[in-house]
Formats: sequence, C-alpha cells, structure tokens
Amino acid sequence: MTWGKTIRFLLLLALAVTFLAPMAWMVSTSLKPLAETMTVPPRWIPSSLQWQNYPDAIRAMGYFWRYTGNSLLLCLLTVVGTLVSSTLAAYGFARLEWPGRNKLFSLCLATMMIPFPAIMVPIYGLFKNLGWIGSLKPLWIPTFFASAFHVFLLRQFFLSLPKDTAEAARIDGCNEWQILWHTVLPLAKPVLLVVAVFQFLATWNDFLGPLIYLTDQRTFTLALGLQSFQSQQGGTAWHHLMAASTLVILPVIVLFFLTQRTLIQGIATTGSKN
Amino acid sequence: MSRSLPRLSLLAALWLAGCAGDFGVPAGRTVIRYWDKWSGWEAEAMRAVVDDFNRSQDRIWVEFSSTSHINRKLMLSIGGGVPPDIAGLFGNTLAVYAENNALTPLDQLAQEAGLGEEAYIPIFWEICNHLGHLWALPSSPASLGLVWNKKIFRENGLDPDRPPSSIAELERINDRLTRRDTNGRLQSIGHLPSEPGWWPAIWGWWFGGKLWNGEQMTMDDAGNLAAMEWISTYPQRFASRDLLSFRDGFGNFASPQNAFFTGRVAMVLQGPWIHTFIEKYAPAGFEWGVSAFPTSDPARLGTVTLVETDVLVIPAGAKHPREAFEFLRYVSRQGNMEKLCLGQRKFSPLREVSPDFFAKHPNPHIRTFLELAKSPQAKRVPPFTLWAMMENDMKQAFGKVWNGTATPEEVLRQVQNHLQAELEKSQHRWSRLAGILQKQWSSP
Amino acid sequence: MTSMDCRRLTTGLCFIAPWLVGFLALSLYPFLSSLYLSGCDYSVLAPAVWIGPENYTNLAQDPIFWKAAGNTVLFALVSVPLGLILSFLLALLLNADIPARGFFRTVFFLPSLMPLVCLAVLWLWLLNGDLGLVNACLRPFLGLGNHLFGASWAPPNWLQDPRFALAGLVLTGLWGVGHPMVIFLAGLQEVPRHLYESADIDGASAWQKLWHITLPTLSPVIYFNGIMALIGCFQVFAVPYVMTEGGDGPERSLLFLATYLYQHAFEYWNMGYACAIGLFLFCLILGLTWVASRLSSRHVHYEGA
Repeated sequence: MTWGKTIRFLLLLALAVTFLAPMAWMVSTSLKPLAETMTVPPRWIPSSLQWQNYPDAIRAMGYFWRYTGNSLLLCLLTVVGTLVSSTLAAYGFARLEWPGRNKLFSLCLATMMIPFPAIMVPIYGLFKNLGWIGSLKPLWIPTFFASAFHVFLLRQFFLSLPKDTAEAARIDGCNEWQILWHTVLPLAKPVLLVVAVFQFLATWNDFLGPLIYLTDQRTFTLALGLQSFQSQQGGTAWHHLMAASTLVILPVIVLFFLTQRTLIQGIATTGSKN
Repeated sequence: MSRSLPRLSLLAALWLAGCAGDFGVPAGRTVIRYWDKWSGWEAEAMRAVVDDFNRSQDRIWVEFSSTSHINRKLMLSIGGGVPPDIAGLFGNTLAVYAENNALTPLDQLAQEAGLGEEAYIPIFWEICNHLGHLWALPSSPASLGLVWNKKIFRENGLDPDRPPSSIAELERINDRLTRRDTNGRLQSIGHLPSEPGWWPAIWGWWFGGKLWNGEQMTMDDAGNLAAMEWISTYPQRFASRDLLSFRDGFGNFASPQNAFFTGRVAMVLQGPWIHTFIEKYAPAGFEWGVSAFPTSDPARLGTVTLVETDVLVIPAGAKHPREAFEFLRYVSRQGNMEKLCLGQRKFSPLREVSPDFFAKHPNPHIRTFLELAKSPQAKRVPPFTLWAMMENDMKQAFGKVWNGTATPEEVLRQVQNHLQAELEKSQHRWSRLAGILQKQWSSP
Repeated sequence: MTSMDCRRLTTGLCFIAPWLVGFLALSLYPFLSSLYLSGCDYSVLAPAVWIGPENYTNLAQDPIFWKAAGNTVLFALVSVPLGLILSFLLALLLNADIPARGFFRTVFFLPSLMPLVCLAVLWLWLLNGDLGLVNACLRPFLGLGNHLFGASWAPPNWLQDPRFALAGLVLTGLWGVGHPMVIFLAGLQEVPRHLYESADIDGASAWQKLWHITLPTLSPVIYFNGIMALIGCFQVFAVPYVMTEGGDGPERSLLFLATYLYQHAFEYWNMGYACAIGLFLFCLILGLTWVASRLSSRHVHYEGA
C-alpha cells in the first residue's frame, strides 16, 4: 500500500470506530446489570452478561409481542399495497401512450413536495369520518393508492426496459395487463424488491402516523410501543431501554444483510439522473 | 414470493381474528373502558373499587387501565371518535375539555340518579361544574398545607407544636433554622419557595393576591407583587449561587435524598400524599406536623389553601354513557368513596364521613387537610383554559426572579400582558362557539 | 379526440387509477381542505367557524411560533451542510481500492436504517450528561484542556441545556448520513475516468482534480442530496418528540415547526391554527427548493445539457 492509501485506510478505520461505537454501546448497555449502567467512567464489557435483560424488557413493555405482530402485519399489508398499486401506476406512466400523461406525471412528482404535517389535519378528519381512527386501517389502506416516490422509482426502471418484446406481445394480441404480467414484471424483480424493502423500512420506522391514529395500547406498533415504554420509564432503566431498542432494530439489520446488494443499488439509483 | 404470500395473508387474517376477542370478560356484559392517569398505589386503590363494582352486578364490566400521558392520549381518542367510556383526570383540566366539546354533560344523568351538590363539600362540586353544566364527579381530593419537621424545630429551641402563623414569623423561624458550614456554604434552611416549587403560580394567594377577577387577569395586583417580592428576597439574602449549589445537593422528590426528609429544608408546602412518601423514604421516627400555610396578614386573609380533586368524566362520543354513569354513581356512594380515598390516602369529597374513616386512615394528619379544604378561603385553580399556560409563564417568571435576572414588577407585567391577551383570544374564541355548543349540551 | 386516443386514455387512466384516487383523496382534497381550514376556528370536536385571516395574524404575533420557525431553519442550515460534507467525505474515502471496503461501507450505512424512535432513545442515552458515552469521550480532552489552559471546562448536559440541545440533535442526525453517502458513492463511480486521466497528464494536483472535475460532475447529485436533506430537516419531528417526551426541550430549544403543528392540532385542538402552520411549512419548503433550483441552474452541470 502507498502512503496515501495507508492514511486513507487509517482515517476510515477511525471513522468506522466512531460510527460503530453507538451501536456497540447500545448492545453493551443492554447486557449490563442496572448498577453498571451508572458507573463513571463507563465500562464497555459488563462484569457478567445479563441476558435476562431481554425477557425482562419484553415483559416490562407489556404488549411487546402484540406490538411486533401489529408491525409485521402492517409491513406485510403496506408492502403488498405499494407493490400492486405503484406498479400499475408506474406502468401506466412509463409504457402507455395517452393524452395528458406527462402532465399528470409532473403532478405526481409535485405531490412529493407536500410535507405530511401540512395536510395531516384534513387527512385525520377524513379517517375520523370513516371511523378508522384507533384501528390499523389508516396506516395500510393508503398504500393501496400508490406512493409518488415508488411510482417514480418503478417508472424509471420500466423506461429502461427494451420495448420490442412488449411490441411482439401486443402484435400477438395480448392486452396491457398480460404484457405487464408476462413481459415486464419478470424483468423487474430487482426493482420490485427495492420498493418492497423501502416500504418495509418506512412502515417499520413510521412514528407520526401511529402516534396520531392509534389510541389503544394493544394496536400500537413496535416503534410507538418503544416510545411509550421510554416515556413511562422516564429514562431510568437504561439497560431495559437498550435491550428493547436492540430488539426493534434487529429485524431491520437482518433485512439489510439479506438484501444488502439490491438495497444499496436501489438507493444509489434514486440519486442518479434528476 | 408469490407462493408464500397467500400463506402469509392467512396468518395475517388469523392475527386480526385473534385481536378481535377480549380476554377475561364474562359473557353478556357491556364492556366499559376506563382510563386513569394514576399508576402505582393510587391505581391499585381504584382497581379494587372497580373489582368490587364488577362483582356487585352482572350487566356491566369495567376494564381499568393506567394510562401515562393521559391528556394527550385521551384528546387523541376523543378527537378520533374512539374514546374510552370513562376517564380519570385532574379537576383543573376540566375547562379545557369542556370548552373543546370533549366531554359528555352529566346534568341529565345526575338528575335522574338523584345526585346533587348537597352530597359534596361545596368547592368540589364547583370544580366539576363549568359554563353552567356538570362535567364530572369528584373522586379523591387534596388540599395544601404547611408540613414541618418537628425534630428540627425542637433541636433549635423552637416549640415543635407551634408552626408559624404569618409570613413574618415564617421568616423569623427561617433565619433561626439556617445553618452554614465553616466555608459559609448553606447546610440547611427553614423554608425555600423553590422546594419543591410545584405551584409557582399561586404564591400570591397567601399575600391576598388574585389570579383573575372572573373577567380579567390580575397577575400584577398588589398581593401577587408582594409574593414575588418575598420570593426575590431569597436570592438577595442567600445569594443565587449559594442557593443553586445548595439545591444541587438535593435528591429526587421520591427518594430518601428528598431535602425535606434529610432535614435540609424544615418546612414545605405539600398535600396529603406527602404522608406516603414520608413512610417510604423518610428516616425512621420522622416527626412531622401539618397546618395552614401562613399568610402575610392572618387577621385579614384567614386560612388560605389550594384545593384540587381528581375527577371522573365521560368523554364525548363514549359508546355507553349510561353504563359508564352507573360506575360513576357507584364510586360516589359513601362506602365506596371512602374505600377509594382510604386506598389513595386522601380524605373524602363527600359531606358525610363515616365515624371510623379517620380512625382507619393511615395518615395521622388527614383531618387537618380536610379542615383546610373546608375553609372559606380555600381556593381552586381558575376555571379557564389557560391554566397550563399560566403555570408555565409563572414558572419562567419565578425562575427569573430566583436567578435575579429580572425584577418582580417586570416579570409580573410580562405575565399579565401575555395572559390577558391570551384570555381575550380564548374569550373571543368561546364567544364564536358558545351558541352552538350550549344548544348541543342542553338538548338531552 | 379520435376513438384511438379515447381508448388509450381509458387504458392509461385504468392503470394509474390507484394513484389518481390516492392523489384526489389523500393529496388534493387534504391540501385544499387545509387551505380552507386555515381560515377557520376548527377542532374536530366542534363545527368549523370561518374567521378569515385571524389564524395568520395570530401566527405573525406568536413568539413561540417564531421560535419554532427559527429553530427549524437553524437546524436545517447547520445540519444540511454538515451532513453533505460528512457524507461526501465518507464517499470520497471509500471511492478507492482499499481493503475491507465493503465492511466500511456497511458500517457507515447501517445507522441510517435505524428506526427514528430507536435513534432517539439511543442518543438520549449517549448524550446523557453524567453517564453518556459522548461525555465520557469528551472528558479526557476537556481535562487536558483544563490542565493546559487552567480553564474549567465541563462537558455539557446536552439535551437539558438550551445552548447545546440543538447541537445534540445535529450530532444525532449526522450519524445517519449513510443514505446520501451511498448516493454520492454511486455518483463518484460514474465520473468518467478519462477526465482524471487527462488532468493527470496536465499535472493537476488531487485538490485541483476534486475542485475542477469531481465537484462539477457531481453537482446534480449534491443538489439532489441537499434538497432531500432540506425537506427532511424541515419536517423533523420524531427524534425531538421522543427525546423530549412530547415536550419542546429546555427553553423550547427543541421546538420545531412540525412539533408545534402537532401540539396545536392534537393537544390544544386548535386545528385551524395547525393548518396555518402547515401551509407556512409548505411555503417554506417550496420557497427554499425554488431558491435552490435557481441557484442550481447556474452551478449544477447536467451531463450533455
């Protein structure tokens, strides 16, 4: 290695340690007895590993399994919803020619500029009138009406696909649904996976939505449950809070390692071209 | 993926089905959801009354749950149209709920049940009424008094059974009890308005001040100013820095390091709950007394105290208001109310008290707190929507005077101007809605 | 319109129907409704009463609102450039043939996936004044400083101290720069090799290459990341909400527009006022994006454009 490279490597190493420290600290705290969370200066390795903290934290959260089930259910429903609706819309915007298409697509992009807080009051009123507040419905039904961001992402991909197979199918008398299903979707698996992972993460992480729509503890998602747990604890039982946080992050980390390559490529493409 | 989806959906459906059923409710009963602000021993006492109620009849099943940050969650659920049937709140929040149309008026239900003001100590009934309607029934109440450490009085040659009767005497005792170490640092003190400092807005009451006159704010009247000037004497006498470092040595309120329990502060303004904390955290043999907190002019001002009560309400849009009221009525019966108040270590808001209530009560001074509440000068938090804002403003004002960064006149003028403007805004807002809402509340 | 056009239109609309319905019900209607409600005294519990511009005049005179707006802008102005610089720096360092490159990339990227609530809880703990890791790391340095200069520096009680709370939040945000980093990295890999090669022939220094080749070619990516970060910062809600347990921090130092809007909408039931705040937020984002796009049209170079 040259000098430049060595310096670069050492710099990266230092930064990596800095970036890893918070996570390591979280896991370390989650395995300490309470008394050891309060030592100054802090110790990294607990005197004995308190695995018991995890079941204790789960019990202290009350409805931990209920929260997990709700979050997983929502993830499943929103992923299905987004895949179905955004694919259809993206196909309509990318591969069909019809008057007014480009104008509507610009409108679609423009909606990304509206911050959710700016329209959350009327949306809340709408869901109230539908009798949905207090249930999970406001958190998943809207995903069946396509999200502008995912439409954009899928459209980019559909545009890049060659058109000749579709033309051939069209000549064979296939209708647009069949073309989408048989010629486009099989090629689109990677981008569909990206959309699915994005949606999973968004649902798993969402906080403001569950905060305003869910009123009964038993319908809470994990993120909301964790916040509720933290506010009840008033920031004292740090070993339990860190154990709970670790549990909430775990599925995300697993998902990341399963889909690493696709996910990172997906993010990379969101930034390129426009 | 396409093959596993149906299986996952099946699981999801099972999950949804599983969520629908409730556990432990006997068949055929109407389920009443009840959220309460308390956790801990107060919640346990209420839970016992709920259990009694559930056993006492076979139509209604009350499901009790302790809810943290209840105001936030309750407002959300009422706004969303899915409120619980009963909520246990602090009485001083009623105006906010009522003026936002968030509660069910109880006039009709109370009348049908024959429940009226004659059963209650007047001030508690007043707290539950607002804008000409009944919004709640009192559950367990409290009042504030001077709580003092008798042992410290005795050790310093004072009569342990004679608390100060005026602010001037309080300050004489305060000087007598102030101790410094050889470096001149404060060791202990008689009284500090900042300890625990939970009611920064109302010190004026003990100086003849008023917060408002029913129409306008009077935050800068002579009494409030006198109180703020009294507060400003502390940083002058003891130096702000000394007070800050003295205070740094205090532990949490609910801990053995509480400055009152360790003897570092000998007199505090507190309510009946202090007994529970003394039992739990104070050293064995802790001797304490309770009396009215002294005023600046005992002959003119009499016995001044703040009276509060917990209340039970039926939120607007509750599914089963009648069944919910059954429970409210059950709690208001003397025997049940006394069980609740004994459990929560408070006195009862009812006029009638059974003879053995005080004998059974663990708090030796509970009768004093009751007498304080019955005093003609007992006051309650102003019945308007600005109470939270007022508390916050006065906390800031107190802090500035305490740190010596502003004069009493300045801070009170600021508070007065801000709150008066907010009051006008709120009155203006109310005037727009009054017609619509009053009509809605008065129709059965 | 020919019948062919008509058929095409129908098919097209069929496909985009899910989006169209969503747009009408979940974007257009709420937006117009918000516009109307901002002129009303409205809580969901009582009928809306039209009051004209009163919410806006109140807003203009509301010091807490201006505090929230100031905090939001300050947070964005500090956070966005710092985030851009850090993520760009990380991407530059990673954009070379070095050992364990994949490992480093994962390490820098992972924190950005952290659910916001976890992020807030974790940093609440890291920034704890007495027991937190951040101060544990600062203490030796401050101790050395005190020793050398005879000063008496103590590590701040981050989130409890009005002077440091916002800085604590910025620090929290910087930990999540993995996302723009990945985008930068992809952008760096698309910079045409031949540009560097010809620069090498001209004897350009590394600094010159960065300044004259890398940055200009990457400007669309910088612009994209900047806009995304800006929009994110203006809506900051979850992390300060969790950190302050729904409050606004010491001396309101962690009060942001989205938090203030939430409080008015769902704690004070002042929903008309909340809508006015929301529209202000919308205009702010729109305005700044417009300014950014004006600037970019001068400084951003799109390839082939």
